Amino acid sequence: MNISYRVAHVFVRNLISYKRFIVTTFIASLIQPLFYLVTFGIGMGAYMGAFGGKSYLFFLVPGVIISSVMMSSTFECLYGTFVKMIHERLYDSLIATPVSAEDAITGDILWASFRGLISGGLMMAVAAAMGIFPVSLLSLLLLLIVMAFIGILFASLAMIVTSYAPNFDFFNYYTELVITPMLFFSGVFFPLDNFPAWMKTLAQFFPLTHAVAIARAVYSGVYPRRLLFNIGVGILLGVLAFVIGVRRMKKRLIK
Amino acid sequence: MTTIIKAEGLTKKYGDFTAVDRISFEIQEGECFGFLGPNGAGKTTTIRMIHCVSPKTSGSLLVNGVQAGIDNRAIKAVTGIIPQEITLDIDLTVRENLLVFARFFDIPRREARTRIDELLKFVELEAKRDCKIDQLSTGMKRRLLIARALLNRPLFIIADEPTTGLDPQARHLIWQRLRQLKSQGTTLILTTQYMEEAQQLCDRLVVMHQGKILKEGTPNRLIDDLIGREVVEIRIAADRDEALIGTLGAGACGHERVGDTLYFYCRDGHDIRRKLIELDLPNTVHRPATLEDVFLKLTGRSLIE
Repeated sequence: MNISYRVAHVFVRNLISYKRFIVTTFIASLIQPLFYLVTFGIGMGAYMGAFGGKSYLFFLVPGVIISSVMMSSTFECLYGTFVKMIHERLYDSLIATPVSAEDAITGDILWASFRGLISGGLMMAVAAAMGIFPVSLLSLLLLLIVMAFIGILFASLAMIVTSYAPNFDFFNYYTELVITPMLFFSGVFFPLDNFPAWMKTLAQFFPLTHAVAIARAVYSGVYPRRLLFNIGVGILLGVLAFVIGVRRMKKRLIK
Repeated sequence: MTTIIKAEGLTKKYGDFTAVDRISFEIQEGECFGFLGPNGAGKTTTIRMIHCVSPKTSGSLLVNGVQAGIDNRAIKAVTGIIPQEITLDIDLTVRENLLVFARFFDIPRREARTRIDELLKFVELEAKRDCKIDQLSTGMKRRLLIARALLNRPLFIIADEPTTGLDPQARHLIWQRLRQLKSQGTTLILTTQYMEEAQQLCDRLVVMHQGKILKEGTPNRLIDDLIGREVVEIRIAADRDEALIGTLGAGACGHERVGDTLYFYCRDGHDIRRKLIELDLPNTVHRPATLEDVFLKLTGRSLIE
């Protein structure tokens, strides 16, 4: 792994280019949470009763925040990276400078995580406007750290997919067959308790399951013992995905 | 003179396919060195190994005294690349493109700003500094690529087919800029399939074909050695070859039949020309020998696919 401080240069490049997209992405990032929070939170929440003494929204919000981090960082490293690699040939000119392939890919992963952080942050702001806050300032800070890390995890997973992608259509397999099902089987919208045992076991293989569990604990300030397991798996998956993602992309960029 | 690049037995394989096959060459400081060859000859692969974006399979490749390798940031820091394809950052403006690139080379901000102003002037793009890339013509994009390649004050510049797809005006402007750089002492490495370009710019060149170097020398030397000074082309049916070669062959140093044309290569074409007038053949051309003749003689006049 030939990673240096030049990762920051790549990040800054993305930040400068972001000017062009900032309005559209902010609007998209605001509409999506409203959609989730209004339909699931208010519409369905009315039938759900109280979750551990609090309204359904308290259960829903951390899960939805993490899902939006997942979506943003995933899409950035699928479509964003693919366009830069194939259509704009940006990586070709990047790796001809002292910036290494690893620097370039890591810079993009960190950038995608930052995009996730923005989406999650906007979601948090919408939730706050609806009166749903993290329990304390500490829990807010911890949540931001968790979001950044989860962003890196999903950006790295997306990098692995992109490293194999011959074209845009290929991404549909990942988004439709992995990301969408994960959204419903990872305890974002409802607890996993009522699922049959095999489904609960399966859910443990989804990174989102652990991400949501961690975010929910941090958001509510209630830390169950099982959290250590979630954190352990989360870190393991994150590190694995990052190393594999960077290696695979380097292989694709350098022939 | 200092040797900047020295290759010995340099080889690049992609699986079973050998793209570059045990080539050796030396490039001196301050010269313009050309790689001339048809598509797929291995020119681009060779220069990609020089500027460390493609790992070599075997052999030795010393660039500025150190072995080239994929993680060699030191070599990349002193290289300027004018790529074959337009790899500008289309999300950024002209000036932002250069600013971001300066950052990749760790050029301090203030220095970068002055340098960028100089370079935009040099490539005549000052008026376009705040334009988006898609508002530029192809010629302007190529010029911006030149400016970008010069940002880090490189020890040598690699131009990979720098004028492909340009109209004559734009092409000549690029040539002028490249010659200007050369006169300032910059080492230039050029790949091209245009003979005229090689003749205009190169001090020395190698002709590559199927991964191998066929010949090396100065453009004039190569023409003189392999072709002579002049070429007479006669477009005529092949059944008259024997008679014509009998009449004209003595005045030529070689002849060749390709398709509908009989070629005579000679040092002094006056004799043949006089006889041609006597023969009164309709379709004849008498012209100076060019690098194109060398190239076609070496790589074969048939279509390479």
